[in-house]
Order: sequence, then C-alpha cells, then structure tokens
Amino acid sequence: MLDILVIRGIIAVFLISIVSATVGSFSVFRGSTFFVSGIAHGALAGAALGIFLTLALFPIDPLLMAMIFSVFFALAIGYATSRREDVDVAVGVMFAFSMSLAVLFLSMLREYASIAWGLLIGDLLLLSQEDLTILVVSVITIVLIFLIFYRKIMYSIFDPESAEASGLHVMWYDTLMFILIAVGVVALLKCVGAILVYALLIVPAAASRRMFPSVSGTIVGAFVITLISGLGGIYLSYYLAVAPSSLAGLIAAAIYAVSLFRRR
Amino acid sequence: MSIEVYNLTVRYDNKIALENVNVKVEHPSLVVIMGPNGAGKTTFLKSLLGLIPYEGEIKIFGKDPKKARSLIGYLPQRDSINTNMPLKVKEVVLLPLVSKSFTIKKEHVEKAKKYLEFVGMLDRWNDRFDSLSGGQQQRVLFARALVTEPKVLILDEPFSATDVKTKMELVELLHRLKGEKTIFIVLHDINPLVECTDMVMLIQKTLLSFGTVSEVLTPENLEKLYGTKVPMIRRDNVCYIVGGDRHA
Repeated sequence: MLDILVIRGIIAVFLISIVSATVGSFSVFRGSTFFVSGIAHGALAGAALGIFLTLALFPIDPLLMAMIFSVFFALAIGYATSRREDVDVAVGVMFAFSMSLAVLFLSMLREYASIAWGLLIGDLLLLSQEDLTILVVSVITIVLIFLIFYRKIMYSIFDPESAEASGLHVMWYDTLMFILIAVGVVALLKCVGAILVYALLIVPAAASRRMFPSVSGTIVGAFVITLISGLGGIYLSYYLAVAPSSLAGLIAAAIYAVSLFRRR
Repeated sequence: MSIEVYNLTVRYDNKIALENVNVKVEHPSLVVIMGPNGAGKTTFLKSLLGLIPYEGEIKIFGKDPKKARSLIGYLPQRDSINTNMPLKVKEVVLLPLVSKSFTIKKEHVEKAKKYLEFVGMLDRWNDRFDSLSGGQQQRVLFARALVTEPKVLILDEPFSATDVKTKMELVELLHRLKGEKTIFIVLHDINPLVECTDMVMLIQKTLLSFGTVSEVLTPENLEKLYGTKVPMIRRDNVCYIVGGDRHA
C-alpha cells in the first residue's frame, strides 16, 4: 500500500502540472521566464522572514509571508517595467534584493535555518495536509482566473499595443499575470523548492512549445511533461534515495533536450 | 463626420515629441503621414488611438480617442508582435472579436474568414502565424485590423520589410478600401499610393505641411522635412519622389 506521504506527493504532482500548464506556458509565451526565477527567490526571503517572526515575535505562516513577498516583488517589477525599465534589469535588481534579504533573515535564524533552507530545495514526499490544501486553493484560484481572462491575457501578450488600442487595459492583465506567477511560485515552493521551481514551472512549458507548437498544444503538453517528470521523480527517488524534485527537474530537462532536436 | 486634432502636443519625460499639431480630416479620406525617423509619426498615431497621454484635443467622429476605439482598426509595426506565442492565423484574426467574450460565435468565425479572404490568406486559416513570411504576416494583421469593421484604419508602416509583390498587394487592398474608410498610414515611400492619396501630412516634431499631394509634395517642403534636397519628378501633374523616402 502506498504511504500517505507518497499519495500526497502524487496529488501534488498532478496539481503542479496544472500550474505548469497555465502559469508556466504563459510565462514562456510572455518571455518572462527569468521573472519566475526572481519571484522564487523573493518567496524564499518572505518564508525566511516568516520563520524568523514566528520564532522571535508572533506565529505567522511562512508560506503566507512568501506569498506577500512574491506579490510585492511581482508588483514592484511590474511598476519598474511600466516606468520603462528593462524587465531583465528590474528582475535582476529584485533578485539581488530578495536574496540579500533571504540571507539576512537566514543568518538571524541560526540553528533553525535548516527549516528555511528546506524551502530552497523542497521535498515532494514531505508535504503536510496543510501544504496540500494551500496547493489546491492556489490551483483553483489560478485556473478560475485563467478561465475568465484567458483570451484577454493572450491578446495582451501577443500584441500589447493593439490590445490596448482595442480597449483592453494591458497593464492590468500584465499585473494579473505577474500575480498569477507569484501565486504559482509559492504554491510550488514547499514541493520543489525555490531553486527547482524553475525546473517544473518553465522547462516543461518550454519543451512543450517546441514539441506542440500551438497555444492549446503547449498547455496540454506542459501538463503531460510535468506529470511525467514529477511522477518519474517520485518513482526513481524510491530506488535512488535522493530528493524527487531534483530527479523531476532532470527528467524535465532531458525532455527539453530531446525537444531541441525537433524541427520547428 | 471627421477626425479633428487641435493643438496636439505630446511629451515623453518632459521632452517634446510632437508639438501643436492641428488637422481636420473629412471621412472618408486616405491620409499619408511622412517624416524622418523619430519625427513623431507613430506618436501621432498613438495619440489618435488614445494610447499615450497628450495635451490638446482629438475628436474622432465627435468622440475622444478612448471612447472611439470601436471605430478604429489598428495595424502596428510588425516588430511589436510577440511571436513567442504560437498562435494560428485564425486565432490572430479572431482576437479582437473574442477577447471580450467567453465563446467564439459563428458570426466571429464568418467575419474572420471574410477578411482573411479579402487579404488573400484564407487558405492559411489553420497555419501557425509565425510560420508565415513577413509579407503574409502583414496581410493577416491587416485582416485583423479590418475584422471589427472599423470606420477608421490606422496603419503604421505597413510596407516595411515587405517585398515588392506584397507591397503591391497591400496597395491594391488600400485602393479597394478607399472611399469607404478613413485611413491614416505612415509611409516612408509614398510613390505606390500617390494616386489614391487624398491628403499628406509632413511631420517633423510638428506639422510642417498638410494638404493634397500636389500642395504638399514640393521640393521645398521635402527639403525642410528631411534636411536635404530630395529629387522629384512630375508626371501627369503628380509629383513622385525619386528613390522613395529620404531619411534625415
């Protein structure tokens, strides 16, 4: 019989695949993949502060702090780009700022730093019922928003000028996209860690876009590739006794490498 | 029924991009906008579209630009299109129709097909947009600008990076639309459209000249516009610029 932790891990992989198919695919379409990495490190800083506050002052959920930090960094990057800053520079500055904060908070945690470092690498097989609940709520939020605003987000990404000229508020949909990325990143943080968020959020979507070059094809393909990578990671970790998220990241990267051989 | 612009001034970071432009264009007309790079041509178009803040007043059939958006079709410069998104031709043309609704209706599809046929691209309905040549992409974007059946068309350098065949096909389409819509078109080379142009605007940070082709396209005006002598020839009382546009 499967252990409850393995069952939670499998459910988490299914939910992560939905995040990858939606947030991941649209991040690739938008060309905001570096943004995902920047937000993941912002989330880490938030989680580290949450742990520090819990130990020193009052109890607060580290993932809630991660969410607040991620959304704040996402909006700050959005604001900087709306002020004509290059998106790579804006993300790079936020990346440096958030990592500085993360290291500062982690150094204040001392012997408890291992808790926060756990968020850096995550573990699919150590999820609590609460972690899974947060993931379910995040996924439902993301899916609902995509169902409502799918075409508007698509138009805003494909041709922002014409979308704005047709009456869409492109900045709102840009901001919405940034917030969705932040929610997606935090949802994945406990499962795969800040470092490997990129591996399961972006790599499957990037491979899928090459293999199934249509919007719907990319979305479905990203879901399947993430599912294969995540389940493969859990299965192999059983025999190799290593973190499943690292194996999932390797499988996703291998699939991307194969996709490079496909003629576009 | 006209498009009126009064005292239009646009600033970017307190630098003047366009100053004190006044024009009145009767509907329907084909208006060619010319000027060197950085002269404010695209800024003028973006003001008409309500995409940027401006001083002065713009009225499109009596409405402010932001309230007149349903009356305008827009063809942006092709390099503003994000080809990271693997949309199909049909999805590109349907976008303006379906972006504000939850479902794709039969009438949306019919309109999209009608205008793809108009630009001669209906046979590429299911193809990926980024698999098309530059000229074919331009024709699809042209169909997209028409699909909402606007009264006003705003075209930003539609001939850029197109071959002669595509250029002549687009000219033919513009000939067919003339008399039905008001068309503002930014061009570097007016020659292919000289015969069907109603009005010409010469822009160099401000409106240097506005009028009919024969009134505006004079050697003096073009020298003032481009800062260099522009050779011209006259045939059948129409002036042609030798070698197309002269960039300053």
